[in-house]
Amino acid sequence: MDHLAHVSNQPNSQPQSQISHLALDIGGSLIKLVYFCRYDDSCRDDDELRSQNESLGSKSDNSRPVLGGKLHFAKFETSKINDCLEFIHSMKLHLGGFHDCTAPSSDKIFIKATGGGAYKFADLFKEKLSVSLDKEDEMECLVTGANFLLKAVHQEAFTYLDGQKEFAQIDPNDLYPYLLVNIGSGVSMIKVDGDGKFERVSGTSLGGGTFWGLGRLLTKCKNFDELLELSHQGNNRVIDMLVGDIYGGTDYAKIGLSATTIASSFGKAISDNKELVDYKPEDISRSLLRMISNNIGQISYLNALRFGLKRIFFAGFFIRGHAYTMDTISVAVNFWSKGEAEAMFLRHEGFLGALGAFMSYEKQCLDGLTVNKIPQRFPISVSSAGNKIYCSMNGKSNGNESIECTVYGT
Amino acid sequence: MAGLNGDPFLGIDDNIEKLQYNNNSKEVIDKEGLVVGIGEDSSNNKNNNQGGEKDMAGNSIHRSGSRPQLDLSKAEIQGNSEERDPTILLPNQTDDISHLALDIGGSLIKLVYFSRHEDQSVDDKRKKTVKERLGISNGNRRNFPILGGRLHFVKFETSKLNECLDFISSKQLHRGRIDSHHWNSEAPANENAVIKATGGGAYKFADLFKERLGVSIDKEDEMDCLVAGANFLLKAIRHEAFTHMEGHKEFVQIDHNDLFPYLLVNIGSGVSIIKVDGDGKFQRVSGTNVGGGTYWGLGRLLTKCNSFDELLELSQRGDNRTIDMLVGDIYGGMDYSKIGLSASTIASSFGKAISDKKELQDYRPEDISLSLLRMISYNIGQISYLNALRFGLKRIFFGGFFIRGHAYTMDTISFAVHFWSKGEAQAMFLRHEGFLGAVGAFMSYQKHGLDDLMVHHLVERFPMGAPYTGGKIHGPPLGDLNEKISWMEKFVLKGTEITAPVPMAPPGTTGLGGFEVPSSRGATLRSDASALNVGVLHLVPTLEVFPLLADPKMYEPNTIDLSDHKELEYWFTVLSEHLPDLVDKAVASEGGTDDAKRRGDAFARAFSAHLARLMEEPAAYGKLGLANLLELREECLREFQFLDAYRSIKQRENEASLAVLPDLLLELDHMDEETRLLTLIEGVLAANIFDWGSRACVDLYHKGTIIEIYRMSRNKMQRPWRVDDFDLFKERMLGSEGKKPRPHKRALLFVDNSGADIVLGMLPLARELLRCGTEVVLVANSLPALNDVTAMELPDIVAEAAKHCDILRRAAEAGGLLVDAMNNNTLDGSRGNSSSVPLMVVENGCGSPCIDLRQVSSELAAAAKHADLVILEGMGRALHTNFNARFKCEALKI
Repeated sequence: MDHLAHVSNQPNSQPQSQISHLALDIGGSLIKLVYFCRYDDSCRDDDELRSQNESLGSKSDNSRPVLGGKLHFAKFETSKINDCLEFIHSMKLHLGGFHDCTAPSSDKIFIKATGGGAYKFADLFKEKLSVSLDKEDEMECLVTGANFLLKAVHQEAFTYLDGQKEFAQIDPNDLYPYLLVNIGSGVSMIKVDGDGKFERVSGTSLGGGTFWGLGRLLTKCKNFDELLELSHQGNNRVIDMLVGDIYGGTDYAKIGLSATTIASSFGKAISDNKELVDYKPEDISRSLLRMISNNIGQISYLNALRFGLKRIFFAGFFIRGHAYTMDTISVAVNFWSKGEAEAMFLRHEGFLGALGAFMSYEKQCLDGLTVNKIPQRFPISVSSAGNKIYCSMNGKSNGNESIECTVYGT
Repeated sequence: MAGLNGDPFLGIDDNIEKLQYNNNSKEVIDKEGLVVGIGEDSSNNKNNNQGGEKDMAGNSIHRSGSRPQLDLSKAEIQGNSEERDPTILLPNQTDDISHLALDIGGSLIKLVYFSRHEDQSVDDKRKKTVKERLGISNGNRRNFPILGGRLHFVKFETSKLNECLDFISSKQLHRGRIDSHHWNSEAPANENAVIKATGGGAYKFADLFKERLGVSIDKEDEMDCLVAGANFLLKAIRHEAFTHMEGHKEFVQIDHNDLFPYLLVNIGSGVSIIKVDGDGKFQRVSGTNVGGGTYWGLGRLLTKCNSFDELLELSQRGDNRTIDMLVGDIYGGMDYSKIGLSASTIASSFGKAISDKKELQDYRPEDISLSLLRMISYNIGQISYLNALRFGLKRIFFGGFFIRGHAYTMDTISFAVHFWSKGEAQAMFLRHEGFLGAVGAFMSYQKHGLDDLMVHHLVERFPMGAPYTGGKIHGPPLGDLNEKISWMEKFVLKGTEITAPVPMAPPGTTGLGGFEVPSSRGATLRSDASALNVGVLHLVPTLEVFPLLADPKMYEPNTIDLSDHKELEYWFTVLSEHLPDLVDKAVASEGGTDDAKRRGDAFARAFSAHLARLMEEPAAYGKLGLANLLELREECLREFQFLDAYRSIKQRENEASLAVLPDLLLELDHMDEETRLLTLIEGVLAANIFDWGSRACVDLYHKGTIIEIYRMSRNKMQRPWRVDDFDLFKERMLGSEGKKPRPHKRALLFVDNSGADIVLGMLPLARELLRCGTEVVLVANSLPALNDVTAMELPDIVAEAAKHCDILRRAAEAGGLLVDAMNNNTLDGSRGNSSSVPLMVVENGCGSPCIDLRQVSSELAAAAKHADLVILEGMGRALHTNFNARFKCEALKI
């Protein structure tokens, strides 16, 4: 908990006035937070900001106050929701909701929230923080978040193939339609046709929860990231039945299967000679990861094909910028589409829903959220370390940087 | 058929009082009432015949490719070469032909092997004359390009490859080869022996086969085999495909002409998804590595189960909610109805296992197994549907050994397909699911002619202890009947209920205790049994579709639908109650020896086991009709070598009835035509409901009383009957005002029981028809079934009757039934033959109390060609089956 002190230093210097607006995405395994901090540098010229924003075509209005600041991202395990509540409380984030305009007194504070937990934990938030959760639809938030990121944030999307990360230039005018695959505990596949225009076309129950759940049972790993880390050193051939294992080391060339193609995940574990303890956790983790990533890639591609979509964006906390995961998904999409479809990933992959919930303030009390045109400076501020503090998951901080942006306040 | 008391087949029941006369040219007005309309529709008939012939010609051209299966070298004509259609000896054709094909997968080895029928075609005098009369000859007919025989289906675990090799070796399966030029199977030529095999193991284990069995493996492409196997099974087996939704299994009749395209999903260790457009036309469009191997592999690691079947068994008692994260878990018990997800939808498989509070050992293996099963089945269903959608395919067939007839697996897959397709696509399953590849490999032997097999050539039987292994019981197959009986007695001693069909293993071959005896009631046995709902496939190339069926496609022999549970229960009770009596008779028929008693016990157990299995899962052996059930009993008797349980009873009945026949004929001849016709029909009804089989009535078999009882019963048969078309029949037979009688050209009389039924009922009716100038063909069973008269027995009965009746004598002579008389005739020309229309006897090709007109002997099919009247008699053939059958010609169901 030494990090706690570290992070508390900065925002706490001017806590009350700096933080406004918090939104939550409470999923089956993780809680994602997005909150906005004003620049403490108050001498910054708002006009300068505005001129930048105008070029983005934002609905800037001179008569409105403009709040420059940063969006911060943080995550917690859902099972450790108390840590999350404590974090919000200590940061006074809950005061950054919006007040019901009809009730003059400030005792009714609303926080935008999405994900199943917004329903499940509503009472807990009321009790502990005296705030009401204003529930936003999960799919809507995902899509809003994704659309915002893809249009507004420079170098948000990238491809990952054979270890090569390459940022994709997305023309905001040629974004739609696309397939959004959100890999949380489970997987949702959403066809997006425009702002607010989308349909959940498919999904699968083999998702992040399956990886972590099965992984825990099979390896005794203590957390998701540890399990993911293990997979780096693993060799799936020990446990997966490969085409070569069946064909005595040769390819099944006729139908395009190489000897190293996995014929059956965990297929070698049927052997009588070995028990669970005889397999290395690294190998198990690797097999599991490949099984799930490959399956998601395949089902996503089949759905993209169904609707003639060339672009598939993968997001959600399962990915965590993990190279091997992205590689497997990319290979699956590439293999099944014969190179016709492309898997793309998002830097803020885990925060689509939370961001979408945040954006929904716009309807009631925010006029607009625009991102400063200045390329992001990352790694940025200490506040980006939020995830390191309360979440025991040590994922790459990829995608968790804060975003400099401007909020047009009420 | 027998049974006034005890035996159900013949209670006195007003159902029997019927006389149905129909003609397909007119509509039935009232089911219970009259069938109106009599009219020649010979043009229709003729057209059909022509069609048939054309068809046959087309076939033979098509068939020519498969002809060379016979080794014609050194062929010579046997005996007198002047004789028509002489037998041709093929000295270089091995007679002990067996084929073997293998599918060696990652976890299971599937065997399909073929054994030839023992040559039953004893060309007796009767058959030869029938053939001549009906113009059947071995030369110009199909010449049976397909060998008659049996296809057996066996599986082994790949890890127990040695057991498989032992099995092959013990059965000498690797030695049989159809294309061998060597007569002597001991010849060193075996080094060239080749076995067709597919699956990855065909590559991997080729050396081992060479070393252990001295045979080479001829590798066939896996996908080719899967598709060939599926196409063959879907075309050749009537009840191969079925749907399985919410525990309800329903067989689907697939129109052969409307089979393609379809999606074939083969779930083995991994999953292959193949789009099939025709024979040999297919493409592997997708697949997934999350398959049966994943289920079993992960399952083993997570549950410590020792076998796939054990794991599957566990899932039946599982609750996946303890381990899967449901939508309701995320949404606090609420649905996410906006996107159509109910609270019980699985959001994340194994998603609850992320909880810190529980370790692996805290979860029940049952729950883990079920979660795993749902995850994998659902995923396969989803990916399959997405692929079907891609190509616009409505039908998806799932095969492969992962499924194992497991209800939950099928339900899950069906649910996934149904859910994602919104009901537009349908998941179907195959009874021979695990054997597609092996069947396909078998098909790749060019010379067996299997491609030409039609549905009606195949009869599937479920013998006790079809020799397969798997699950917990292993070991070589049982060699003979004696071992089979001992094996079953062992089970009985151990207090284990046998659920058929069971895997067979001789005692003492697998270490301690011989075999593991399941702890609970047949638990292991049952899961194994459910894995293999396939019997031995009998290939009977001489079977044909009865040509007079009005609509063979719509024809369904069974009148009684046993999918109605009440009906099923009734028949099971009836059959179970009758069993002890049947065993007594069977044992007595074999002289009541100790051996016969032992076999009788084994038969009783085997048949009870079949009944128990069917009671539990009526569709286990395919669609179950009463005819199938009754035939199963007969087959079971034969399996335990009770060839004719009613032999002596039948003999006694026949003698008693024949003794009173002259009196009856005399009585009949004194009546006027109309009364006589009515009396004859009444007589058929009366004679048939006699329960000569039951013990209480045996006493009546004394000379003098039999005719009295017969007359009494006949008097009870007062019109009107339940279905009464007598007037129509009378008009046709005798004519009415202004209309001349129009005698039929040829009548087919499907006869039923021995004794009074044939002698006092059917023979007098036949005699009347003969008198009118109608040729009469008596159609009887090929093999014994209860007290039914067989084609083998009929000539003697007719000969005996002919002694007292000139009409019968001359007709029988003309039909070649009176062997001695005919020999005399041949000496001094064919005098007298022209003086009468012939009376003939043909076999129907079956050995059951019922008859399925889709599968009759070629003899009967040929006889039917010129027939314009069909008379079906008895409960089995006219009521339990064929009551609703429609014919191209006139038909009488009595």
